Amino acid sequence: MGQQIVNGVFLGSIYALFALGYTLVFGVLDILNLAHQAVFMLCAYFALLIVLHLHLPMFFAFPAAVLAGGLLGLGVERVAFRPLRGRADSNVSGLISSIALATVLEALALQIFGPDVERFPFGIVPDRTLHLGDAVVSELQVVIIAIALAMLLALTWVVRWTALGRRIRAVAESPAAARVLGVDVDRVIAASFFVSSALGGAAGVLFGLAFNNVSPDMGRTVELKGLAVIILGGMGSMPGAAIAGFALGLVEVFTVAKLGSSYRDAVAFGILFLVLVLRPRGLLGSRALREA
Amino acid sequence: MRLSFRVAAAVAATALAGCTRSSPPPQAAATVKVGAVFSLTGNAAAYGAQQKAAVQLAVDEVNKGGTLKNLALELVLEDDGTNPQQGIAVFDRLINTNKVSVILGPTLSTLAEAADPRAQAQKTPVIAVSNTKPNAITTIGDYIWRVSLTEAQVIPSALSTAREKLGFKTAALLYGDDDAFTKAGFDVMKSALEKAGVKILGIQTFSTKDRDFDAQLTALKGLKPDVLLVSALVEQAGSIAVQARQLGYAGPIMGGNGFNSTKFIQLAGPAAEGVLVGTAWNRASNDPVNQSFIAAMKARGTDPDQFAAQAYSGILVVAEAIRQAGFKGGRDDIRDGFSKVKDLPTPLGRFSFLPNRDGDHPAAVQIVKGGRFEILQ
Amino acid sequence: MSGVGGLGDFWLTYQSTVAFVGLNGLLALSVYTTLSCGQLSLAQAGFMALGAYTSALLTLHTSAPFPAVLLAGTLAPALVAVPLGLPVLRLHGVFLAIATIGFGEVVRIFFVNLEATNGALGLVAIPQRAGLAGIYGALAAALFVLWRIRGSRAGYALEAIREDEPAARTMGIDASAYKLSMLVLGAAFAGLAGALDAHFSFMVAPASYSFGRVVDMLVYAVVGGSAAFYGPVVGAAFLTLLPEVLREIGGRLGLEPGPLRLFVNGLVLLLVVLFLPNGLVSLPRRVRRYVAGRRAEAHAP
Repeated sequence: MGQQIVNGVFLGSIYALFALGYTLVFGVLDILNLAHQAVFMLCAYFALLIVLHLHLPMFFAFPAAVLAGGLLGLGVERVAFRPLRGRADSNVSGLISSIALATVLEALALQIFGPDVERFPFGIVPDRTLHLGDAVVSELQVVIIAIALAMLLALTWVVRWTALGRRIRAVAESPAAARVLGVDVDRVIAASFFVSSALGGAAGVLFGLAFNNVSPDMGRTVELKGLAVIILGGMGSMPGAAIAGFALGLVEVFTVAKLGSSYRDAVAFGILFLVLVLRPRGLLGSRALREA
Repeated sequence: MRLSFRVAAAVAATALAGCTRSSPPPQAAATVKVGAVFSLTGNAAAYGAQQKAAVQLAVDEVNKGGTLKNLALELVLEDDGTNPQQGIAVFDRLINTNKVSVILGPTLSTLAEAADPRAQAQKTPVIAVSNTKPNAITTIGDYIWRVSLTEAQVIPSALSTAREKLGFKTAALLYGDDDAFTKAGFDVMKSALEKAGVKILGIQTFSTKDRDFDAQLTALKGLKPDVLLVSALVEQAGSIAVQARQLGYAGPIMGGNGFNSTKFIQLAGPAAEGVLVGTAWNRASNDPVNQSFIAAMKARGTDPDQFAAQAYSGILVVAEAIRQAGFKGGRDDIRDGFSKVKDLPTPLGRFSFLPNRDGDHPAAVQIVKGGRFEILQ
Repeated sequence: MSGVGGLGDFWLTYQSTVAFVGLNGLLALSVYTTLSCGQLSLAQAGFMALGAYTSALLTLHTSAPFPAVLLAGTLAPALVAVPLGLPVLRLHGVFLAIATIGFGEVVRIFFVNLEATNGALGLVAIPQRAGLAGIYGALAAALFVLWRIRGSRAGYALEAIREDEPAARTMGIDASAYKLSMLVLGAAFAGLAGALDAHFSFMVAPASYSFGRVVDMLVYAVVGGSAAFYGPVVGAAFLTLLPEVLREIGGRLGLEPGPLRLFVNGLVLLLVVLFLPNGLVSLPRRVRRYVAGRRAEAHAP
């Protein structure tokens, strides 16, 4: 039982980290960036390359990959979203163009890295285990949970208490008004994408480390689970995404333990559906649903 | 109307592309075209890579050895992408454009069930070299033959050998429920355990897209089984072994055919030690055919696994069928030739076909020791 | 390679591709129906699965004639679309898209776990009762239906809803009824395509009805262009045939066919969304306008 809680918290921390990026962009732009999972995947590969070819330890590879994620995010915004800014149906067309970009990136990864699953070399992270009661936790798992929480807190701090955060919130409220107040809206949007994708990249590296698995399609299932998380947490709410991420991790793990693994994914989508039908703004979402 | 013009133009363009496909260089001797469809991309790519290397070696050796007199084998290799629709399309192309006399493959049983019927309908023999789903594949029709032993042929004997050595009374099962091969492996494991009187404490499933098995493994570990049986494809097999060990499960792990790849050892690292795998290929056999196969593969840069051994043997069987048919390489010749193959020396041992067109040769159990597969003696 | 024999072989090789062009066209139309009134519904893979399984089960277990089987495959998802649509169509834009994605996944998982249909392994050995005639007949029928809708009052209503839903409502258009009808129609198309596919490809398996599948359908519809009712079919034809044509080129360049196909799909979609938002069908008009503009410049004083 204790072990399953550990499993759930661990899985949840990765979901939360991934969903944070999703929800940040949605909060600011009312847009779902479905290229997020491609950045997730590419950063995992990036870290892998640094470790394998430059022989640098994770201590360097991780921040490098996170930075790369942020830069990729800037690229995604520039290519897939900015050109569509003026259009009336920009939410839907943005969705579609981000899907397109994600497909292109996945194809590139497939061509360059091949379809096989790769793993980080053994020993790249310490693999000691700790015992909490009857549960086994690896050092790696503890570090991952800690990093996820740290990033969540850092993001909350940035949004609540920094100038950039204030500007982000202003643009999220109303881009037009923000512009009138002298905010460089383009820059703020770019910055949001940078942060969001950096988080996504971090989640990717941690996922790859956690489950010894880096492959071009690793983003696909996480992407769909991520959707369930942000809907449950409330679109645009960062604490919501975090709480919902952990909640989903725990619910999934206990579903497997009690009902068997067949229903694991059904739970995520079932929750998604119920929330959308009964309480579309999710747990902590406070924004009124905008028109499409 | 704009619509039909566009479609017609596109079809015409494709027709031109098809007509300008390069034809093979003219040969002095007659050639028999041998098609091979393997998963070179997608989930089963690890197996496909081995199969590709093996058939290329085998075809070269048959041609150099001159055992087919003035006939030469010409290999036409295609990728099924581990995708049934692509597999069907590729089969159609090999049968109708390249006009092959026989097709080896596809890699996975799931694809075989989709694509083999088309070969049967178009009277082209197929020789399965890695499909292990029992009571299937060869049941599609009389043009479908099989070299690879089914899970039903390998697992029960592997299990009883393992039981002799380790003496387990209870077991837990973990399997992938969305692949024909892993599901079939599970069915065989379950019935073999029941027949042997081993108590099954728990069963968990996962999907081929899963990466995280902690929840399932924790649940099974909690039941304290004597042995954990896993039916999975190689990419997940590695993660399962690692995660099981990480969670503190120290008991023996036994895998199905999916574990039969050096990629498993590569992915699982230290966690692979002690894992048991039933195998259709006894790599430790001192039979000269086997040893020279291993040496030749290594000389080409590939450490062969069971998939390679089976694919290589598949070509040997095709060559023998041609010989038995009177050195004729037509589709029906090869099909009839298959039925005459008896005790053919292959890396797998002496090979014959069973009356139901499945393969027949002895099986073995392996254990991972020091990062390599060794036969459990 | 020449002559009748060559063309005959070519046909046998590519007949499955031609069949898939037809099927993909029908699937693209199923996404288009909801796009035409401004809704992005991504549930079609789930509807396709329902049609495929219903028809396959009927064929395997009863001796129902093929047309009846097809009809069942068309109606089953259409019926499901009603209780789905009522709550879900209250949502807008991205939320509707996500809810419908969720529905599609739930259907897929349902079939993965259904023992009665062999779970994830699906049903095999379905006799091939669908051929090119059936597939293109169905496609023609779907196009006909959409053509009639286009020209009728319903067509104008849909256009109005797509342009500005609140305004349409104030003008007395029952937007909810129209949106639901389009969802049901799209479900019917998808179910029909699913049933045909099941009887052409010998098998049904849940893996064919994933999120990736509905993304493909969306790509066909968007690339073809949702301004014209036949646009999605054009997109489907283009994107189904393009990889076959590129296979040759890709092979010579040493590119793997799998990644190449994905790359081309993604790139074409991206370019279309960014630069040709009304899809390929708007290309001739654009070219004409461009040419006319150039000519005007040349003749300018």
